[in-house]
Amino acid sequence: MKDFLRFIVRYFITRLLISLLVIFIGVSIIFLIPRLVPGANPAEMAIRRLQMSGAYLPADSIEKMKQALLKLYGLEGSLLKQYTTFWKELLKGNLGPSFASFPTPVMTLIARSLPWTVGLLALTALISWVFGTVLGGIAGYRNKGLWVRVLEIISNAVRPIPYYILALLLLILFAYVLHWFPTGGAYQIGLTPTLSWTFVKSVVKYGFLPALSLIIIGIGAWFLNMRNLVSNITSEYFVTFAHQMGLRDSIILRSYVIRLAMPAQLTGLALQLGFIFNGTIITEIVFNYPGLGTLIYTAIMQSDYNLVMGTTLFSIVAVAFATLFVDLLLPFIDPRIQYVSG
Amino acid sequence: MRYLKWVVLVVLTIAGIIGFAEEVLPGVPRNEVIIIEDPTGRSLNPTRFNLWGGGVSSWSTGIQQLCLGALWYIDPDAGIEGEPWINLLAADAPLYNDNKTEMTVKLRKGIYWSDGVPFTADDLIFTVETLKNHPEMTWGAYMQVNVQEVKKVDDYTVVFKLVKPNGRFHTIFTVRWSACYIMPKHIFEKVEDPVAYEFYPPVGTGPYVLKSYDPNGYWFLWELRQDWERSDLGVAFGKKPGPKFVLYKGLASPEKKVMDQMAHQLDIIHDLPPEGAITLHQNNPYCVTWFDGWPWAHPDPTLPSLIMNHEQFPYNLKEVRWALTLAIDIVQVVLQSYNGCATISPIHVPPTGKDPEWYFDKIEPWLKDFTIKIGSETFKPYDPTIPTKIADAVKYAYGYKVPDDPAEIRKMVGYGWWKYSPDVAEKLLKSVGFKKEKGKWLLPDGKPWKISILCEAATRSVMTRAAAAIAEQWRKFGIDAQIEAVESSMLWTRMNYGEDKDTIYWAWCIETWGGHPDLFWFLESWHSDYYRPTGQTVVAKNPMRYKSEKIDKIIDALRQTDFFKDTDKMIDLGLEYIKTCVEDMPIIPVFSYNVFTVCDGYYWTGYPTAQDPYTDPVPNWGNTRFMFIKLQPTGRK
Repeated sequence: MKDFLRFIVRYFITRLLISLLVIFIGVSIIFLIPRLVPGANPAEMAIRRLQMSGAYLPADSIEKMKQALLKLYGLEGSLLKQYTTFWKELLKGNLGPSFASFPTPVMTLIARSLPWTVGLLALTALISWVFGTVLGGIAGYRNKGLWVRVLEIISNAVRPIPYYILALLLLILFAYVLHWFPTGGAYQIGLTPTLSWTFVKSVVKYGFLPALSLIIIGIGAWFLNMRNLVSNITSEYFVTFAHQMGLRDSIILRSYVIRLAMPAQLTGLALQLGFIFNGTIITEIVFNYPGLGTLIYTAIMQSDYNLVMGTTLFSIVAVAFATLFVDLLLPFIDPRIQYVSG
Repeated sequence: MRYLKWVVLVVLTIAGIIGFAEEVLPGVPRNEVIIIEDPTGRSLNPTRFNLWGGGVSSWSTGIQQLCLGALWYIDPDAGIEGEPWINLLAADAPLYNDNKTEMTVKLRKGIYWSDGVPFTADDLIFTVETLKNHPEMTWGAYMQVNVQEVKKVDDYTVVFKLVKPNGRFHTIFTVRWSACYIMPKHIFEKVEDPVAYEFYPPVGTGPYVLKSYDPNGYWFLWELRQDWERSDLGVAFGKKPGPKFVLYKGLASPEKKVMDQMAHQLDIIHDLPPEGAITLHQNNPYCVTWFDGWPWAHPDPTLPSLIMNHEQFPYNLKEVRWALTLAIDIVQVVLQSYNGCATISPIHVPPTGKDPEWYFDKIEPWLKDFTIKIGSETFKPYDPTIPTKIADAVKYAYGYKVPDDPAEIRKMVGYGWWKYSPDVAEKLLKSVGFKKEKGKWLLPDGKPWKISILCEAATRSVMTRAAAAIAEQWRKFGIDAQIEAVESSMLWTRMNYGEDKDTIYWAWCIETWGGHPDLFWFLESWHSDYYRPTGQTVVAKNPMRYKSEKIDKIIDALRQTDFFKDTDKMIDLGLEYIKTCVEDMPIIPVFSYNVFTVCDGYYWTGYPTAQDPYTDPVPNWGNTRFMFIKLQPTGRK
């Protein structure tokens, strides 16, 4: 109990405070950057969008409209005033309206895309990680079998293929040649999102190709990482010693090898799950899949400060807490790692 | 055997999910729906249709094409009945008083909103008054600046009293791509905040109503109104639109667009890189393009140009701007950017719509005689044979079939351009103190001359390629020229501030009606009254920060002309503008923005083409509304 309290006070709270500080600094930077970029004025961007799309805005009225929009967007006043207002609203859970999609709240836009991104990326990240890690672990330990060679060749062949090309190849083969899967979208056009079997079946069917493309790329990377880690560990003296002690292979693999390879794999997984909130813009483009990728891209391109803040906030928080989680978890897996407070 | 049942189970589950090939829309025969690309891709806020309030992600979801209506349209091509000026919600063209301080509008009778309420003068008045009270709304500031009072004479007549004389006031209500659409008063008058209001479901005077949409913003499905005869198109033309359903679908990947159309699952592609369009033309027997063969694409009335900030040395010097022009081999640029499918322009008007007849035919004799003086030497830079050279080059390089008749070729790729004359360019530069050492140009102060061409990145690949081709030409000439490809919004932002050193922008600031000779629409903001120095964002369309007393006088004179009666005078003033620009070369005009809109004739027929140019086929234009009464099913199922 005493040790646990000491852990909470000396390590956990310190690490938690560091994570909160990271989030504060990250959010402040994201607040400042778009405002300091020359020419990234949301009101001018809104006017330019209208002009570029062909809407007629005569010279006389442009300045007047700009001032009116700045007032509407709440961008009048000093940077400090905007910054304090921003934190007050953020702590109330309000990220404000999107400027490019004014007056739609940023939270509404994120809420529309988030389930698709999390659903697709979390699932594919976990599947890729489990398969890649297990197969890589076995391949690294028993690196002489034929199937190990085959897996290595496939992984090495797939890994350098640009994701865009791989995704297009899958699309051409399964959607246009074999007609097994649809060419894009999240579900059948005309369906209303409900919890019915028809809708769920449609979501699975439409999500299959994007998921497959991400899993193929993901498995290859995890497989090669794990195989290399395990190959290195098996050449360590303590593994040789364990063999000479006559321990069973399964015990050596589980307790001596895999256990030591896991911290790196788990750290990678946690960070990847944290980065999920960045979305995958190429998957979204190739498969017309809704997600946070296009949202973030649009936000940056249109100087939509609030939307940039909103989308990156999720990512900053997720990565900070994923790192904290990994820091807390690793000592339980690898006995060489110990909690030491700063 | 142990694993067999699992294998069978997995296969059956996958087969169950895959099912059989499904319809595009459940319960809707494919031959009743036309599928059109929305080039915006994904609409982030798909329930927002309030174009007046702003914040609408895409205007190409059908909202301005099928639903909302405007008073007037100017078609960039010939027009649905052979006349580019189209009265849609208005019964006639606007009527101005003598000093242009009043404009009277007569509205069509018998038009109903899609929810059954009659369209009347009250709607127009309400639209203008709402906008006037909200300068933050899309056309609000314009109404506030220009409208003193708007009043109803009767249910179908409205009079505008203007703040100052303005014979172009009607253009705010006249669609060239878009315009100020009319609000349904009975909907918006119940709304507390017209900016925040989503306007969902949208109610319009157009012939279609929104049937369903994708909450993720990738598609919008519209259905023909049962009372389509009472819609604006129905009342104005009395013809039933062919498609029962229209599906606007966002697609970002060009490869996907090509594959979808090959599979007859996408009827109109907005734009493609040249190779994509040519592939479709060669492989899909039902493919319909603007030209049925080289150069395929539709020339939009927009003029991509090399835009130099005149406040940045050495682009304040006319000799430098002309030298850069003469150091470009346009044939090579056209080949490398557009696969030989560009429509070139030596003058500051795009060679599209009726502009060739109004401006190009008239100015060409002057161009042939136009002379540049370098010291005691003279040089005639215009080369009318360039279209033939382009045709010969594409025939040789790509094997495309090209016509033999030079007149036909000019209709396809333009009239002519400036001679590739690096020797003359060299003399011009030396006349203003430039030096050439070891094949490289030095500025008069002895520093190397560097140029970065700021252009759009992959989203408009032809523009990136053209910039690369021009940079290559200039490098060959001895300038250290490179390109910097950035996203569209970044290019326009940086160009409007004009602060980049050693930079020339590859974009556009000249856009014409195509179907009307008046150049005031884009030219007004070139007036020195609107001049903004570098570092301040430019007003509208003068990013080169060009100041010219002659141009000011032309703009002032245009302001005095009658848009409907003074056609010849407007053309004369336009010709004066062209001459001034050719002499000064404030920006280097290159070619029109050619759009590879590709249609599939498998299910639908009646698309606009160069043979039947009744409207612009580019589907994000509001003007494509008129296409729907020409489109008819082929009968294929």
